[in-house]
Amino acid sequence: MLNALAHFERAKPHLSGDVEARAQALQQAELLGLPTRRVEAWHYTDLPRLLKRASSPSGALIGNDYSTLKPHYLVFENGQLSTDAAQLSAEFVAPEADLSADAMTLYNHALAENGVTLNFDKSPETIVVIETKGSETQHFMHRVKLGAGVKATVVDDHAALGYSNVIWHVELAADAQLTLVHIQQSGQYVGHCTANLAANAQFKQTTLLTGGDVARHATHVKLQQAGAKADLHSAILGRAVSHNDVTYTIEHQAADTHSHTTSHQALADAARGVFQGKVIVQRDAQRVDAQMQARAMMLSSEAEINAKPELEIYADDVACAHGTAIGEIDADALFFLRARGIDEASARQLLITGFVEQLLTHCDDKALADVLRRHIEQKISALTLTKLEADHAV
Amino acid sequence: MSALLEISNLQAGIGDKAILKGLDLTIQAGEVHAIMGPNGSGKSTLSYVLSGKDGYDITGGSMQFDGQDLADLQAEERAIAGLFLAFQYPLEIPGVTNMTFLKTALNAVRRGRGEDEMDAASFLRLAREKSRALGMDDDMLKRQLNVGFSGGEKKRNEILQMAMLEPKLAILDETDSGLDIDALKIVAEGVNAQRSPERGMLVITHYQRLLDFIKPDVVHVMANGRIVRSGGPELALELEKSGYADYRGNEAAHA
Repeated sequence: MLNALAHFERAKPHLSGDVEARAQALQQAELLGLPTRRVEAWHYTDLPRLLKRASSPSGALIGNDYSTLKPHYLVFENGQLSTDAAQLSAEFVAPEADLSADAMTLYNHALAENGVTLNFDKSPETIVVIETKGSETQHFMHRVKLGAGVKATVVDDHAALGYSNVIWHVELAADAQLTLVHIQQSGQYVGHCTANLAANAQFKQTTLLTGGDVARHATHVKLQQAGAKADLHSAILGRAVSHNDVTYTIEHQAADTHSHTTSHQALADAARGVFQGKVIVQRDAQRVDAQMQARAMMLSSEAEINAKPELEIYADDVACAHGTAIGEIDADALFFLRARGIDEASARQLLITGFVEQLLTHCDDKALADVLRRHIEQKISALTLTKLEADHAV
Repeated sequence: MSALLEISNLQAGIGDKAILKGLDLTIQAGEVHAIMGPNGSGKSTLSYVLSGKDGYDITGGSMQFDGQDLADLQAEERAIAGLFLAFQYPLEIPGVTNMTFLKTALNAVRRGRGEDEMDAASFLRLAREKSRALGMDDDMLKRQLNVGFSGGEKKRNEILQMAMLEPKLAILDETDSGLDIDALKIVAEGVNAQRSPERGMLVITHYQRLLDFIKPDVVHVMANGRIVRSGGPELALELEKSGYADYRGNEAAHA
């Protein structure tokens, strides 16, 4: 990634779309450079520095078993689609370079060589799992467009080891419902998701970060018509020196729109967590309900959390709230469990698991919640071994 | 036969602050003892020191439980040895279901007692049977541990844990606090159902009311970190009439 020009030259023969415009996008991206702390939205995520440092090991990769969901599978390895997407009509549509975009979008417009395009305009509900593997730099442009009243679930299962720049475009017509799940357990993922919602549409996004070296998951939701609702929930299990950033921008552009955001970040070792949440309520967007909660559980004195909730409200009849709570494992809760015969290490593990699994209280698909639960529990048992042995050695 | 619990001259506190100042108490298997006393007399400290909560310094005396010195055991080892504390304020643990918690606790205790772990199906049958006996909805097993439970539900859940773990000695710390009379009756019935010749109970309470429903064999009055008087059930009735004024005076004189 750090040598985008060379990457472009290599990729050029395979790039679709207007390659000349893509070259211009690249030039513009290089002019702007990767975002640093000087860019407000990246204040806690100094991307050039993070991408340059020696990466931390991801821990053992877990193969998630989605068979109970009966999904369509799409597997990308080093940028190439390794299963047949034809039955879904999911063929990649090359991005149109937008020279006014920010650097990360420009890099994506220049270099995206693959991605899925899901256009569903009728029922039944479709479930798609997109797995990303490999160790090379990858750029994806994914698009999900649901017609009126259509329901779909898309899982973005990221187990690639290198750097990935991923853009998601979500368009939901009236009454459409999309559940979009991101699981990142490895690599350097810099993602940006935009979602536009029409009347009564629902966007449910679940983000679970359990071991990537660099994780930046930014989401920008526009609630454009009455009744639109965004449910954005994230959980982080940070270990080693991983950097985990969830950044939400939620624009309530119409009256009677709702958003509910939660984040649970459990940070061990020297992991760093970032939560940025900005709720904007436009002037005529009355009766908006926006709730935002960010919690962090610090499992080590080396861990770091940066939490920045923001409300920007221009309407007067709204119910908006945000809260941030940062703490350690609760000593009274620990005693309660130990007084029931559970040893200290297991009690800690149970409390960390419970904290992270609060993510699942917002997941109404039981089969999907079970996949996430298994993933979390496998990751926590690995974490507890390394972390608590170190503690007890002192 | 040696006593189930034998506390002699127990002295404990937090930092420089002495709370238990030479407490003696002996409980035989099959007996129900009640400890009553004014606020600040050290009742809850006694329950925490017995069950092994961190943060208390034991400065003198001894606690023998079923042939073991409690001071040598971690909180979880005391639970495995058969000590159970029903909490005055049961903790809410978001994200952990009541079922997961009960199963983890039961199997930890069984492992510790050298028994086989219980498989999922047998566990579920047992948990349902015990919770129904306490008039609990099956739904309460699926909910997050104590999250959103009413005061009565939390206390009933404590009694359910006791029924599952089958302790030799149950300490009920102000189990009546925060309960209305109907909830109190249900909880007391649950406790009474678990009275047995092998099991001792220590009921800590501020009010006589609970003892109308859980009839004690012995009543102790605690003040200023000691047992200052012991008697039969009639002592509780006497306290209900006269209050703790006499014992508070005692405390003030020592302060």
